Amino acid sequence: MGNRTEEDYNFVFKVVLIGESGVGKTNLLSRFTRNEFSHDSRTTIGVEFSTRTVMLGTAAIKAQIWDTAGLERYRAITSAYYRGAVGALLVFDLTKHQTYAVVERWLKELYDHAEATIVVMLVGNKSDLSQAREVPTDEARMFAENNGLLFLETSALDSTNVELAFETVLKEIFAKVSKQRQNNTRTNAINLGNAQAGQDPSPGEKRACCISL
Amino acid sequence: MAQALGEDLVQTSEPQDDSSSLGSDSELSGPGPYRQADRYGFIGGSSLEPGPGHPPADLIRQREMKWVEMTSHWEKTMSRRYKKVKMQCRKGIPSALRARCWPLLCGAQACQKNSPGTYQALAEAPGDPQWMETIGRDLHRQFPLHEMFVSPQGHGQQGLLQVLKAYTLYRPEQGYCQAQGPVAAVLLMHLPPEEAFWCLVQICEVYLPGYYGPQMEAVQLDAEVFMALLRRLLPRIHKHLQQVGVGPLLYLPEWFLCLFARSLPFPTVLRIWDAFLSEGAKVLFRVGLTLVRLALGTAEQRMACPGLLETLGALRAIPPAQLQEEIFMPQVHSVALSEQDLQRELRVQLARLPKSSPGPSPQPQARLPGAQAIFEAQQLAGAQGGAKPEVPRIVIQPPEEPRPPRRKPQTRGKTFHGLLTRAQGPSIEGPSRTHRSSFLDTRF
Repeated sequence: MGNRTEEDYNFVFKVVLIGESGVGKTNLLSRFTRNEFSHDSRTTIGVEFSTRTVMLGTAAIKAQIWDTAGLERYRAITSAYYRGAVGALLVFDLTKHQTYAVVERWLKELYDHAEATIVVMLVGNKSDLSQAREVPTDEARMFAENNGLLFLETSALDSTNVELAFETVLKEIFAKVSKQRQNNTRTNAINLGNAQAGQDPSPGEKRACCISL
Repeated sequence: MAQALGEDLVQTSEPQDDSSSLGSDSELSGPGPYRQADRYGFIGGSSLEPGPGHPPADLIRQREMKWVEMTSHWEKTMSRRYKKVKMQCRKGIPSALRARCWPLLCGAQACQKNSPGTYQALAEAPGDPQWMETIGRDLHRQFPLHEMFVSPQGHGQQGLLQVLKAYTLYRPEQGYCQAQGPVAAVLLMHLPPEEAFWCLVQICEVYLPGYYGPQMEAVQLDAEVFMALLRRLLPRIHKHLQQVGVGPLLYLPEWFLCLFARSLPFPTVLRIWDAFLSEGAKVLFRVGLTLVRLALGTAEQRMACPGLLETLGALRAIPPAQLQEEIFMPQVHSVALSEQDLQRELRVQLARLPKSSPGPSPQPQARLPGAQAIFEAQQLAGAQGGAKPEVPRIVIQPPEEPRPPRRKPQTRGKTFHGLLTRAQGPSIEGPSRTHRSSFLDTRF
């Protein structure tokens, strides 16, 4: 997967990171978009975001990754966060079973606020701490399969599978988008439905599409 | 990543189209090789010397003496010369005296005096295990690049643990809100844990009730109020934000919940806190409006932000030079937003909240607009029956209908319009009072 630095891109995909406080969402974000990791990254209080443009085949995809506070009480003020999201990484800490036990609650939260067609990957983070594992891989993988979720274990610390996780989600979104476009009429109906404002690339860029799945 | 970001808002210097909200102040570069801590304690921070425009030493001495004098007779000062306090807070409390002045301004000192042994008991009691786990996870994540908070066993993290734990025991129904971390941390940079605790209590309960609780309902209300104020005061910016889909909840919570401690250069943060403790929540709105104006005030700036991400990025990328305290604060203080304006807008937005929304409804009337109101409330509480064993809880029952009373208040001939001074403090009693127009009573 390449990394374009030019301005133009064909698609903008908004992906949200969700999951309990402390599971590593912010570091997954920084690892993917800036190749950085910090043990002491600050607690996320508002909404953070970062972008990275990647190539999928010949299409340039601008991945817009959003990150927010995981603590329960922030749910009240973060519903706007989900608007327009086409992908989600639901992250848990595989060394803390409690963060996995609440995954269903997060799924419900997600489906309450986002499109039903959103692509979701369950991510077990902190795979570098293998000694401290509390969630068996197979258990999580089975849960994911039973619920129609993608699944990977990652380590933002040593980068294991981070690229793959985001790449897989983006590819899946792209596949859905391509299929939808094939199903549309030849005039390439672009759905500029609710909350698409702000996802248009600036004028002067290549023909771009803002997709609502 | 050895780049020293200091406390300035510095955009990533890598040439890429990708915008990011990360990298917006002094906390994000790794410690790297050993670097000197600046005058505020930030390792690698850029405030080694006072910034340009900083007052000369003899002026600072003068101000220090004024504050020493004012604080030696605090009750007299607050009863008769609050205007002077307010003005001095706007100019900035000298660093050496914040530790003395902040607890007085926010009423924490009085709380502490009225509740002897309370903090000790809280500090010694075991915390709720679940809160302890959550708090513990966050200790190394507040100001990680500040020398006081670097070590897990150091005063900073241990103090944070103590203070935050104490709060969850003091107000178990409120529990712990992550934004209390940065707030408590800034307090601990100036005060010992007990004083810091009582200041935190005042901020959470009196300055900004409804901010840090489980529903954070007041944050949502203030977000609506902020948008309404934008529409009135900065209509073109408001229109732009609507067009690109940037709602206030995408940027306001971190600003307001942390009192800008995470968003602005540290010297400016301290100046904001001086004014906030003096004048209350209205300062937060003034700062927010100023920031939005600096980021998006010109047509050029708006055109450079065709979408949501660019707009959010602009809000986080105001050039540090414009945020420097001596340049920024005068603009804050001259924002055309009075306490009355704020109260009026709060009423309007409160009335517009859907009645069916879940959770508690915000009670903006419970908010005290600054040091003078707090002082008067504490005086009143003291006069009514000696020292209370608890922090005075200022809770006003909201009117049944969320709209101002139509009938003329029973005021013995007084008029409220244009009234700049009041003879009495804000109502603190419940519905037994005959006139409930508490919001009309608030001073500027």
